[in-house]
Amino acid sequence: MSYIETIRSCDDMVTPGMSACQGCGGELILRKVLQIAGKNTIVCVPPGCMSGAGVVGWNYQTGMKIPVHIPLLTNTASFLAGVSQIYQRKGRTDVNIIAVAGDGATADGGFQALSGAAERNEKMLYVCYDNEGYMNTGFQRSSTTTKGSRTSTTPLGKVINGKEQHQKYMPLILSMHHLDYCATASPSHMADMVLKIEQGLAASKKGFAYLHIFSPCPTGWLFEPNQSIQIARKAVASNIFPLWEMKDGKYKITFENKKPIPAADFLHSIGKFKKLSAEDIEEIQKEADRRYKLIKNLALA
Amino acid sequence: MSKIKAMTGNTTAAIAASLCRPDLIAAYPITPQSSVAEYLSELVHDGILDANLVTTESEHSVMSVIQGAACAGARTFTATSAQGLAFMYEPYFQMSTMRLPMVMALVTREMISPCTVWSGQQDAMSVRDAGWIQVFVENNQEIMDMIIQGYMIAEHDDVLIPVNVCYDGFYLSHLVEGVEIPTQKEVDAFLPPVHFNHAVLDPDDPIAVDSLTSGEVLMRYRKTHLEAMEKALDIIEEVDKKFSASFGRSYGGAIETYQCEDADIVLITVGGMTGTARDAVDIARANGIKVGLLKLRFVRPFPAKRIAKALSDKKGFAVVDRSVCFGWSTGPMYTEIRAALTNENCDFSHFSAIGGLGGADISLKHMLIVIEKLEKEKNQPGQKDTLWLTKEL
Amino acid sequence: MKNRAHITPVGNEGMYILDTASWRTEKPVMDKDLCIECGLCLSYCPVNAIIFNKNNKYQITYDFCKGCGICAVECPRKAITMIAEGGENNE
Repeated sequence: MSYIETIRSCDDMVTPGMSACQGCGGELILRKVLQIAGKNTIVCVPPGCMSGAGVVGWNYQTGMKIPVHIPLLTNTASFLAGVSQIYQRKGRTDVNIIAVAGDGATADGGFQALSGAAERNEKMLYVCYDNEGYMNTGFQRSSTTTKGSRTSTTPLGKVINGKEQHQKYMPLILSMHHLDYCATASPSHMADMVLKIEQGLAASKKGFAYLHIFSPCPTGWLFEPNQSIQIARKAVASNIFPLWEMKDGKYKITFENKKPIPAADFLHSIGKFKKLSAEDIEEIQKEADRRYKLIKNLALA
Repeated sequence: MSKIKAMTGNTTAAIAASLCRPDLIAAYPITPQSSVAEYLSELVHDGILDANLVTTESEHSVMSVIQGAACAGARTFTATSAQGLAFMYEPYFQMSTMRLPMVMALVTREMISPCTVWSGQQDAMSVRDAGWIQVFVENNQEIMDMIIQGYMIAEHDDVLIPVNVCYDGFYLSHLVEGVEIPTQKEVDAFLPPVHFNHAVLDPDDPIAVDSLTSGEVLMRYRKTHLEAMEKALDIIEEVDKKFSASFGRSYGGAIETYQCEDADIVLITVGGMTGTARDAVDIARANGIKVGLLKLRFVRPFPAKRIAKALSDKKGFAVVDRSVCFGWSTGPMYTEIRAALTNENCDFSHFSAIGGLGGADISLKHMLIVIEKLEKEKNQPGQKDTLWLTKEL
Repeated sequence: MKNRAHITPVGNEGMYILDTASWRTEKPVMDKDLCIECGLCLSYCPVNAIIFNKNNKYQITYDFCKGCGICAVECPRKAITMIAEGGENNE
């Protein structure tokens, strides 16, 4: 079955009317992950854009066709570990246990819980939709925000311009937790993303599986909503967001860029990078190249 | 046939928990509670206790893992102290307000700063308003008995509130006393299997657990939580009677009074210090002082009516607190006892006594000094200065 | 399951659905003759407003479409055009 056939035959598990922005990468990711997971699923969506959009329920109503809970920003992986443990204990090992969490809940506040659950190899699929910031609360910076980004807590000012630090590269960090499956994905490369979601779900039955998915944010990054997929495509094409996976300790690049585009092409199409200096762009290009080379070497090892 | 063994408080807590057939135990080490987790780990690793044991990377995750397990319908257990409790405060508050039953041993310890690892009750007192049921025990036998009773109270259909069994760090956790251990059969006959299901994540019955809530609706949930706390006061008495019928030991319910009936003055204590206070009362009585002891067992729900009834015809009372109430210049239980007495006659002579902070001792001499001061001032109504139970006293 | 009212906040009395269709200022319209039935529009729609209907054709539904325009940009044959919501491009 082709990935299109997979997607079109899977029912949507999320409420049809959720208040994510037009063109939201996160909404696309949330729906696809849960469509493929299906009805036999329990999902946790911590505070962030997705929960803020109404999927975790309001008063007496729910926002999903499957059981859903909004854990704390700081404990998604731990909460799910508890659920997972009991479902294993009850012999209901067929149930999918999934987290769909933003980068704030994953790389910052929730990092300790995530690292702990990954190290203990708790059985779950943890999906991070990385829109590089705390978008729901007004676009504040997070540790995955690209260097130079204009965010509400790293504004363009007279003395300091944009975020001063490089991003923390979560997928590689998680891959060092001895996971069965760890991968990056982008909604622009949907066939690859669907396959990785399926592999993640399968791996989650044996241990901790991690997916880090690039989530373009038109409202926070400042670009036209209809460009979301184009932006994601450029992120992959420039090697700023390489697509790779680690399975049973072996790294593999799942999408080779025969002719990568310059980082500048990606950066110039996004409003928050408008005031980047030539030096900043050069640094981001260097960082992207360095990281890509590192992953390539890991793949060859 | 139950047996009596000489055991530390921590070992007692671990054995009590294992007898209650928990599905999942989450643990993280912290002085003075670590040996609870260690003993439970041995039981699990030796195949004696069939429970999922999760040794997390922090206390925040301990309570989070437990919450996830409870949302899958499990009976859970853990233990912590001071800094650990503070770190888990985020999911701790949520545990009670999501109305998920469990029993947690709180091995009470002083809060940092100043830097300390020793006994105190500041940790337990500082979470009084987090919606949990709190009981303070006097000795290791009571640890055993209250953990078992705790599950029955917490999981009761009209309660559904988690329970903290608080016992003094080091004084009870590390010191050895004789404890009668009920058999597994006896506990199974007493404690029904876990059955709560009001907030379960299950694909067979999909719901949103803890949906975003408007203020109007949230107020209803708070109200029903408060009402459940009220109901718990009755259920605490019921469970004490049931436990007494099954195991032969009663603790009097939310409070225990000792020699109060004809007393002029009453000494009020919380936790392990009660043992010392009993001895002091006996000595004072032998010297002709008509003093009684009120052991405050349950701090939450606060047994205001029972306290008011026990003290209504007395001339004076003093409350010994092992913690401080910042902003009141007294101990915290003193402020609450006073609040419980607002409708009674205003002629009480009363004061707060603070001692035993950071592991310091509350000695027999201290208790006798409190009684002496109470006796001396019993005919002078009103609040007296707070008495600090220092070494120099 | 037991009565949950006012014990724990749980949502199980229906689905929380917002009228996101009312957001859009323009809407996608598909030229069925140009459509090569690749399914990319369905795969990229964040709202799942594009369905594979009973006649095995890709169809845009308008109950929840937010008018983001991703489908129009991604269609390899430019079979989808965005037109002003509420009628012709003349207001």
